[in-house]
Amino acid sequence: MADARSFAVAGGGPPQPPPPVARGAVGWARRHLFASPFDALVTLALGLLIAWLVPRAFAWAVVDAVWYAPDGQACRAATGACWAVVAEKHRLILFGTYPYDQQWRGAAVIAIFVALIGLSSIGRIPVRLRLAAWGAGASAGLVLLLGGVFGLSPVGTHLWGGLPLTIVIFVGTVAGGMPLAVLLALGRQSEMPAIRAVSVGIVEVVRGLPLLAVLFVVSLVFPLFVPPELSIDKLVRAILGMIVFFGAYAAEIVRGGLQAIPAGQHEAAKALGLGYRLRMRRVVLPQALALVVPALLNDIIRAFKNTTFVAILGLFDVLGATKVALEDPAWVRHAPEIYVFIFLLYLLFCLAFSRRGMAIERRLAARKR
Amino acid sequence: MGPTRPAGDFVVEFEGVDKWYGAHHALRSVTLGVARGERVAICGPSGSGKSTLIRCVNGLERHQQGTIRVDGIPVDGTGLGLAAVRRRTGMVFQNFNLFPHLTVLDNLTLGPVYSGGEPAAAAEARARLLLDRVGIADQQAKFPGQLSGGQQQRVAIARALMREPSVMLFDEPTSSLDPERVQEVLAVMEELARGGMTMLVVTHEMGFMRRVADLVVFMDQGEIVEAAPPELFFTQPRTDRARAFLGQVMHL
Ligand SMILES: Nc1ncnc2c1ncn2[C@@H]1O[C@H](COP(=O)(O)OP(=O)(O)OP(=O)(O)O)[C@@H](O)[C@H]1O
Ligand SMILES: [Mg+2]
Repeated sequence: MADARSFAVAGGGPPQPPPPVARGAVGWARRHLFASPFDALVTLALGLLIAWLVPRAFAWAVVDAVWYAPDGQACRAATGACWAVVAEKHRLILFGTYPYDQQWRGAAVIAIFVALIGLSSIGRIPVRLRLAAWGAGASAGLVLLLGGVFGLSPVGTHLWGGLPLTIVIFVGTVAGGMPLAVLLALGRQSEMPAIRAVSVGIVEVVRGLPLLAVLFVVSLVFPLFVPPELSIDKLVRAILGMIVFFGAYAAEIVRGGLQAIPAGQHEAAKALGLGYRLRMRRVVLPQALALVVPALLNDIIRAFKNTTFVAILGLFDVLGATKVALEDPAWVRHAPEIYVFIFLLYLLFCLAFSRRGMAIERRLAARKR
Repeated sequence: MGPTRPAGDFVVEFEGVDKWYGAHHALRSVTLGVARGERVAICGPSGSGKSTLIRCVNGLERHQQGTIRVDGIPVDGTGLGLAAVRRRTGMVFQNFNLFPHLTVLDNLTLGPVYSGGEPAAAAEARARLLLDRVGIADQQAKFPGQLSGGQQQRVAIARALMREPSVMLFDEPTSSLDPERVQEVLAVMEELARGGMTMLVVTHEMGFMRRVADLVVFMDQGEIVEAAPPELFFTQPRTDRARAFLGQVMHL
């Protein structure tokens, strides 16, 4: 056989340290901001934009801002933001038309809600305890807002408003919507054609409708078909509409999770003698739901923001109450400040949700190696 | 009872069992009995219906003709019979199929506690004994993803033993293991066999069959082609199909 023309040289010498990389701020900037001409261009453009925007925003929001103006007089002359309007209207924005001297009850509900979100950041608490805490918190919140017991004066739901109302609708939507989503997702995989058809029907119809339409149907059209003595509270109807909407979307996410569970898991559970319910509850759903936590979180955050739609039904959630607050002619010029405040409020809650979601993901990932 | 059926105490009985996947005839009039306290090994080329056969025993697949009995209980469509059969069978899969979201200990206690109504403390005590028996007592708090394949399969065996089954079903329990992990699983199975466990095992491990099988069943294209004690089957296969199969497998 002829000698091969391919060749290889043996011996590479002893191990050596890698070539030096530019360190410090300059090195970092060169690697991350000016790696190529295009990168440099983008960096420059963004830099200019920031240099133009930040001082202006800072001047408006801080330097030229008015923080205290009991009657709005000082604000009229100011060139900056008028934060005094927030101080003036915060009770109306946060609690809506809830009786003024009873608004501490709304504040307590907000505190419970924030505490419960905080609770979920503590690992090592079993899911069952977490759910129990949410159940207890929700009951306490409802009792606080409704009153009529423990010496609390009764307050009808038509007077509820602001952030407590937002929280009630949100918690009600997720608490009712998640079980509905699981049922719809399981129904869609059922071996019984009737159950499958109903589940598919609900999901497809509801997903094809805008949330506003769902809310209108539930709260305006629905009552036409039920006798007046059966009529349900406006708030409850709104929550029911939100539940159906949330459930239909989340059902598709849960179904994706169910489909990702290998057949072997079902088979192993069957072989162990677990019936359908136990199999789903103990083996399939825990895994399926864990897989779709990020996607579900997306829907949960959206449910929080979607609470603003109930304003259309004459319920004054935070945004609805804000609109009412801005009808005051003395402050009507300061809508931007109020909306910045609302913006920060929503951002804060949604950031809190996504932080919790990331914590859950990390906890689940820890199981694998 | 048909005339071909010898008298005796059989844990698993197949009588003229047929099974189709669509038009594909996957089991062709299968008749066999696994006597109490004996080990039956099933081998045969890929697609010959070995998994189908063993999965019919506990109703993971439904047969269409013939009778299957476990401890005398017919495996049929009714939920009650199926539940009773599954209580008497333990199954070990090629891919372990442990529940990844549960610890090793919880994998073992899930069935007895939730389906069998056993108190958690009692189930956990038994689970620890079994884990000790398969040699992984120190891993009980870990999740399956943190164990090697061999360890996972040993957990799966312990899990299947938790209901104290009349028969253990194994479907290629060592086929997805790294070669150096095969022996630790086979050792556990052999220990089970020595303890008198009735076993139906789909496997191609010749050494294992020689050591513990009372009967080797060779399948091809959905039918039982040959059934003989291992020393006879390996040394004097009667059919060309068995000879061809042995020729391929022995020279792997
Ligand atoms: N769910 C199914 N649907 C349709 N056909 C199937 C199904 N399961 C198995 N089959 C077919 O039935 C035949 C027997 O399959 P089976 O899994 O029992 O074979 P096997 O002997 O276990 O093979 P292997 O050694 O590859 O595991 C094969 O031809 C297979 O393609
Ligand atoms: Mg197979």
